[in-house]
Amino acid sequence: MSHKQTRWAIGILGTLGVATMIVLHWMVFFWVPTESTMGIVQRIFYIHPAAWWVAFLGFGIVGLCSAVYLWLGDERLDRAAVAGAEAGMVFTTIGLITGPLWGQVAWGTWWEWEPRLTLALILWFIYLGYFLVRRTTANPEQGKRFAAVVGVIGVLDIPLIHVSVTWLRSLHPEAVILNPESPMNLERSMGLTFGVGFLAFTLIFACLFLASYTVAGYEYELKLRDANPGGTQRAEA
Amino acid sequence: MRAYVALVWAVARKDLLVEFRTYERLTAMGAFTVLVGVLFNFSIDSAVVRPQDIGAALIWMTIIFGGILGMGRTFRLEEEDGALAGILQSPIPLDALFLGKVLGNFVLLSMMAALVFFVFGLFFSLSFSGNPVVLVAIVGFGVLGFVSLTTLFSAMATRSSMGESLLPVLVFPLLVPLVVYGATATQRLFAGRPVVEVSGNVRMLAAFAVLFTVAGAWLFRFVIEE
Repeated sequence: MSHKQTRWAIGILGTLGVATMIVLHWMVFFWVPTESTMGIVQRIFYIHPAAWWVAFLGFGIVGLCSAVYLWLGDERLDRAAVAGAEAGMVFTTIGLITGPLWGQVAWGTWWEWEPRLTLALILWFIYLGYFLVRRTTANPEQGKRFAAVVGVIGVLDIPLIHVSVTWLRSLHPEAVILNPESPMNLERSMGLTFGVGFLAFTLIFACLFLASYTVAGYEYELKLRDANPGGTQRAEA
Repeated sequence: MRAYVALVWAVARKDLLVEFRTYERLTAMGAFTVLVGVLFNFSIDSAVVRPQDIGAALIWMTIIFGGILGMGRTFRLEEEDGALAGILQSPIPLDALFLGKVLGNFVLLSMMAALVFFVFGLFFSLSFSGNPVVLVAIVGFGVLGFVSLTTLFSAMATRSSMGESLLPVLVFPLLVPLVVYGATATQRLFAGRPVVEVSGNVRMLAAFAVLFTVAGAWLFRFVIEE
């Protein structure tokens, strides 16, 4: 993909993402009916799980790209891992804000050591470690490898963390929508709002991911150009 | 296989010999353990909380904090003297180097853990009537999982401008399963619960230890090379 095409793709994804997000907020606040048992606070569900979906998608990208980067050493995989981590951290933060907002009303407390919320907090700190190790290592090439190792170890540990905190305690509402045995019949308008939420967050994630990946590619090209001022070497963006 | 084990042992023996000649890390960890026990004693209002109820939890937190203190210096000697370049030029496989470092750290941290149990048992009048073999298995697997992770990450922290202060940020989030299974199992054993209640914890701690020892041995090459 050429630079121009990439910029177009980022623009289109961003525009579509923002437009869908505006539609989503209109649907959440003015269109979809209020759920009868949970009341108005249930509306946060159109945003919260969608933010989680992309936060975990980001972490999946970090783990996969980090492992393959260590194996192949391709710079593009490192850039993809960083882009996934940056976007993932943004959406983990959104999930960490919206979760307690819901919890304050539903559980009566801002923070509960509930498995998924706990996992989210730990995930945020693993992302933090990923960036810290990268930025504080004097040798940038080494920093990339270190960050990739943190990414791989983090992905290996996530299932164990999930199992352990679930074993310790579970208060989180079960997945009522995707659960086939769920007694809850989701009204069509609610299902549609839910779907629009997932689409909006996925589009914004894709836009941020691609933008971050492309900027890192430009930076890499600039570094190569500075290192070989007379050369014609050009990296693939 | 025997040659490989000999290489692992050579690295661990070197680290332990250096340690038993200087006692730098053991002194720091030992003093930390006793002093934390003293401070915990003054921080608990026994009119509200019985120290026996939280003794096992305090033991695990002290092992982790004291362990971080000692494990952070795993590669300090090699970095300061430039000895790492010499080790990397030697024909030792890097996974054997990692396992040797883990073995050395395992011995040191096990000694510290034994001291923690002794000191906290003494300070907080903890009585243990459970199965000692199960307790040893819980602490052994816990310590192995802990040193595998910290050995890998201490090699990174040594080369970071944040130094050893980076280690807790990297390691603590990953230690959640170890704390959950290790501390709860120890608390149950101290409370006189049957072994069957903690057998699942032992299996999970063993899985944690094996997973991160194997993963660490594979990933170490990406951390140690220049």
